[in-house]
Amino acid sequence: MPNDSEVRTAVAPPGSTAVARLRSLGSGRTGPLVGIVVVIAVLATWPLLAANPYMLSAGVIVLNFAVFATAWNLMGGLTGYVSLGHIAFFGLGSYGTGLAVIHLGINSFVAVLLAAIVVGLISLLVGWAALRVRGASFVIVTIAIVLVLLLVFQSWRSVTGGSSGLVVPRPFPDMLRPEHHRVFFYIFLGLLALVLVSYLVVDRSRLGQALKAIREDEDKAQSLGIPTALLKLAAFGISCFLTAIAGGVYALWFGDLDPIFQFDVVLSSQIALMALLGGVRYLFGPLVGAIIVGSALEYFLLNFGETQFHLVATGLLLVAVVLFAPDGVLALGAALIRRLGPSATSIREMSAADVRAQQDERAAARGAGAGGSVTEEPSERASDD
Amino acid sequence: MVSGALLFQSLILGLLLGGLYALLAAGLTLYFGIMRVVMLAHAAFIILSAYLAWWFSSVTGLDPMISLVGSVPLFYGIGYLLHRYLLSRLRPTTMTMMSVLLTFGIALAIEGLLGLVWTGTQRRINLPYGPTSISFLGAQIPVVQIISFGLAALSLGVLYLIMKRTQFGRSLRATIQHGQAAQLVGIDTTKVAGMGFGLGLATAAIGGAALSLQATIYPSLHWHWIGPLMAIIVVGGLGSIPGAAIAALALGTIRVLLEIPMGPTWAQTIFYVALFLTLMLRPQGFFGGRLAQRF
Repeated sequence: MPNDSEVRTAVAPPGSTAVARLRSLGSGRTGPLVGIVVVIAVLATWPLLAANPYMLSAGVIVLNFAVFATAWNLMGGLTGYVSLGHIAFFGLGSYGTGLAVIHLGINSFVAVLLAAIVVGLISLLVGWAALRVRGASFVIVTIAIVLVLLLVFQSWRSVTGGSSGLVVPRPFPDMLRPEHHRVFFYIFLGLLALVLVSYLVVDRSRLGQALKAIREDEDKAQSLGIPTALLKLAAFGISCFLTAIAGGVYALWFGDLDPIFQFDVVLSSQIALMALLGGVRYLFGPLVGAIIVGSALEYFLLNFGETQFHLVATGLLLVAVVLFAPDGVLALGAALIRRLGPSATSIREMSAADVRAQQDERAAARGAGAGGSVTEEPSERASDD
Repeated sequence: MVSGALLFQSLILGLLLGGLYALLAAGLTLYFGIMRVVMLAHAAFIILSAYLAWWFSSVTGLDPMISLVGSVPLFYGIGYLLHRYLLSRLRPTTMTMMSVLLTFGIALAIEGLLGLVWTGTQRRINLPYGPTSISFLGAQIPVVQIISFGLAALSLGVLYLIMKRTQFGRSLRATIQHGQAAQLVGIDTTKVAGMGFGLGLATAAIGGAALSLQATIYPSLHWHWIGPLMAIIVVGGLGSIPGAAIAALALGTIRVLLEIPMGPTWAQTIFYVALFLTLMLRPQGFFGGRLAQRF
C-alpha cells in the first residue's frame, strides 16, 4: 500500500533516535494505520456476503456516505465549524464530472479529478467569504450555498438539464449491473482508504494541531500566532476537494443527476448527523455513523417506502444525539469500556493502596514516637471513612 | 421598457411582502438575542401554523384567521417548553453549533409529520375574498396581501410595545443584554428567556396564518423560507430587530422588483447575493452590534 509507507516515513522524522522511534510507536502513531488496513479489509468482504445486487448497491451507498462524512469531518470535526452545506460541493463535483465527460470527452476518472480540482478552487472562494464569520452565521452561510445552487441548477436548464436530470455516460458501458456495483464498491473502498489516510495525516500534522486549537478556542489560538483564517481555509479546501471526488465517483456510479438530490439540504444534514453520531473526534467516527444511519435509511426506505417517515426518524435521531450523545457513540463506547474494564478499578485500588501506605507510615511514625501498640487504630478509622 | 404602473404595483407588492418577511424574521432575531441560538425550525413552525389555519378553515368553514385563537397560545407554550426542556440543556460552550443541529432536527421532524398527517399534496385555502383586489392609484393590490401585511404590522407593533413598555419586556431586554447582570437585579432569567422563546414562536404562528392566506402550502415549503429569513437576519445584523425589519422591507421590495426582468426563481437569489455581499463587506451586518460576528 503506497499510502501506508508514505505516512510512516512522514511520521518518523529523519535522524530520530531508536528511542524516539519506539516512543512514537508506543504513542499509537501506527495503530490507526493498522486500524485502517483492518477496517478496509473487513469491509472488502461485503461483496462476498451480499446476498443480491440490491444489498451490494446499498453497500455502495453506505460507503459513499462514509467517504462523504469522513471528508466532512476534516472540517467539521477538526475545526468545529459545522457545515450543513457540504452537499453543495458533492453536487458540484458530480455535475462537474458529468459535464466534463459529456463535453470534453475525457476519461471518466480524469474527469472526476479535474472536477474535484475545480470544485476545490471554488470552495476556496466560497470559504474565503463564509469563514469570515463564526458559529451560527457560518452554518447559515453553508445552508444558503446549497439553497442557491439548487435554484441555479434547476433554472439553468441549457447546461444542467434542470429538473429532468443529466445522464452521465457510464465508464464501463458493457458491464452488467451486479458487476458494475461490485467494481464501484471497491472503487469507493479505495476512496475511503484515501480519505481516512488524509484525515489521519492532517490530524497528526501541525496543521491538525492548529485546527484543533481553533476548535477549542479560536481567540486564544489566534493570540498564539496561528494564522487561523488561512488554516481554516486550507481545511475547508481539502475537505471540499475530497467531498467533490466522492460526488464525482457517485455520478459515474449512479449515472443520473437531479438537482433535487444533488443539492439536498436534508442529505447534507444527514452527513453531519453521521459524523456526530459516530463521534467527530474519532478517525472512524464518521464511518461508524455512516454505517448506522445509512443502513437505517435503507431500512426505512424498504419498509415504509416513499413516506415522510424517514424525515421524522432523522429529525428525532438528530435531536437525541445532540441532547444525549454529543460526543458520539464511539465516545459512549469508550466510556463504557473504561467503566467495565480493569483500568478503572486498578486506578481506584492504586489510590486506596497509596492512602493506606501513607497511613501505615504515619501510624508507624506515631507508634515509634509513643512506643505503644496503637498501630491498628488509624487504619480502622480509615476504613470507617 | 417596463411601464411605470407595473413598477409602482411591484413596489407596493414588494413592501407588503417585506412586511411579512419582517414579522417572520423578528422571531428569529428574538431567539438569537436571547440565547445566541439560530432557530432553523422557525420556518417549519410557520408552515405548521399555515397548515393548522388551512385545516381549521377546511374543517369548520370559518375564516382561517380565527385559528390564531388556538395556535398562538399553543405555539407560545411549545416555545416555552422547547427552551426549558431542550435548548437550555445544551452545554454553554457548544451551544451555538448544537442548537443549530437540534433545531434542524426539529424542523425535519415537523416536515415529516406534516407529510405523514396531511400528505405531500399542495394545499390552498379557498377564501371568498381570495381573488378580489382593490385599486390604489392605478395599482391592483390583492386583498389577502393587504390583510397579511396588516397582520404583520399589527403584530410587530404589539411586539414593540411588549418589549418597550411592559415589565416583562424590560426583563427580557435585560436578559438579552447581559444575562448575569439581569440575574443580579433579581430577574428569573430562565423563566424570562423561556417566555421570550414563546413570544418568538407566537410570531411564527401569526406569520404562518398570514402566509396561508396568500400561498400554496406543502410540507417542504419551509426550505424556501428559512434561507431568505436567515439572509435577512444576517444582513440586518444578528440580534437587531429593527435591522431585521429594515433588511426585510428592502430585500422583499428588491425581490419583487427583480421578478419583472428575471422571473421569480432567479429573483429569489437576491437574498443569497445580499448575504454574500454582506459577509464580504460587513460581516457583522448593517445594523448589528458587537455580538454579530462572534456567533
